[in-house]
Amino acid sequence: MMFTDKKLLARLDKMLEDGISGTFSESDYDETKLSQLESRWLRYLTSSKLSYQKTEQEREKLKELVSDISHQTKTPLANIMLYTELLQEQNLDVQSRHLVDEIRQQSEKLEFLIQSLVETSRLETGTFQLSPCEGDIDRVIQSAIEQITPKADSKQIQIRCIPESCTAKFDSKWTQEAIFNLLDNAVKYSPECTTITVGVKAFELFACISVADQGIGIPEQELPRVFGRFYRGQNVREQDGVGIGLYLSRQIIEGQGGYITAESNGRGAVFKIFLPK
Amino acid sequence: MEVLKTEALSKIYGDGESKVTALDHADLSVEQGEFAAIVGTSGSGKSTLLHLLGGLDRPTSGKVFVENKDIFSLKDEALTIFRRRKIGFMFQSFNLVPTLNVYENIVFPIQLDGNDVDEAFVGEVIRSLGLESMQNRLPNQLSGGQQQRVAIARALATKPAIILADEPTGNLDSKTSQDVLSLLKVTGQKFSQTIVMITHNEVIAQMADRIIRIEDGHIVKGGVRNDESQ
Repeated sequence: MMFTDKKLLARLDKMLEDGISGTFSESDYDETKLSQLESRWLRYLTSSKLSYQKTEQEREKLKELVSDISHQTKTPLANIMLYTELLQEQNLDVQSRHLVDEIRQQSEKLEFLIQSLVETSRLETGTFQLSPCEGDIDRVIQSAIEQITPKADSKQIQIRCIPESCTAKFDSKWTQEAIFNLLDNAVKYSPECTTITVGVKAFELFACISVADQGIGIPEQELPRVFGRFYRGQNVREQDGVGIGLYLSRQIIEGQGGYITAESNGRGAVFKIFLPK
Repeated sequence: MEVLKTEALSKIYGDGESKVTALDHADLSVEQGEFAAIVGTSGSGKSTLLHLLGGLDRPTSGKVFVENKDIFSLKDEALTIFRRRKIGFMFQSFNLVPTLNVYENIVFPIQLDGNDVDEAFVGEVIRSLGLESMQNRLPNQLSGGQQQRVAIARALATKPAIILADEPTGNLDSKTSQDVLSLLKVTGQKFSQTIVMITHNEVIAQMADRIIRIEDGHIVKGGVRNDESQ
């Protein structure tokens, strides 16, 4: 094969184009540099295709593993909870009761942790598909508030909701979970007898749900990290928690074309969920 | 993966009595896919920094690396081509070509570089920004917010290493600003696009994954990402 510079560049350009579209094959076999280059190009393309397939296979294996963990831990964990409850009904001395209460608390934490990890993993690997459709935001907020009210009541925390009728495209089950996680955090890190304010603001293309608390706030250098998996802030180490709720919320919201932000000016924190309309 | 890095970046204007140090040994780095906001008051040196990051001006000393390339080792012509291929710019004045329609404006930088338009990708960008129905309109038939959405699409279309946004909502009212920034944020997430935004507005800065604070030419906070976030 003899090539002028222009023809050579055109052939190289075609090789690239075919490589991108996955249709590349070697044009000829001879002793020229170009023929060698074609062979090496095909080798490279094949190896990237193979490594992509390998990644896909690993992803499949991961899905299976998560499904196994979720399935196999369910029964023993439910049994631990059941026997703990039975034990709690017994006539126990103070010290034993304290120990049983501790077992129950840790079991609940383990259950929450496994459930959150399984959900996160399923969202990440695409086992669960979010199905956003147009709906009223106020309804999903009310459901999340109902869910958190008993916990808020136990700390005499008032949840104030400023209702505004506004629609957006979201998956209501998962979005409720994301909002609940924000409320759960707000209740956890707020002192007793404070107020949590939930607001809705409509923009032309997005709708914003905000959750503002009067809690301990978040230092600025920690703000970008609060959505990290298992991240726990310096000043909340004493509190119960595993650091998965905000991570999961972010996965849920970003998975449906929205985003989530955290702000704090030292007097409480404000989390905002933006959903596309 | 680090996309952008500066080393002791300094810019001094004038000399003698009128010498002004606009930027003093600034070190920062931005990772692939990050949305970073550079925040500072007027005169803090943030615009000087943005001009240097985008290769629009040369530093007095120090270096800027984009995808590991020391951009100021390039001669002027090469730097211009580098900028066209690697940096997407957004300014507060939208800078659209008035005689080209929306679609033509979006693909203009691709064609300037002599490349074929990746229609599937550009179509996806246009859809993500809700511009499907406006493709044949001229910029003067669009509102400010719509024009800035076209500017986002234009910046994304070339798949640059970094989008540099200089006060991108400076000319918009606060409600429209929120929508435009939301679109910048979600399209950045969707296409794993690295974005560096300059602003004086604290509220706008909260949208970013990381805030880099600049005062009197010094980076005082957030120059390097803390990896615990991932």
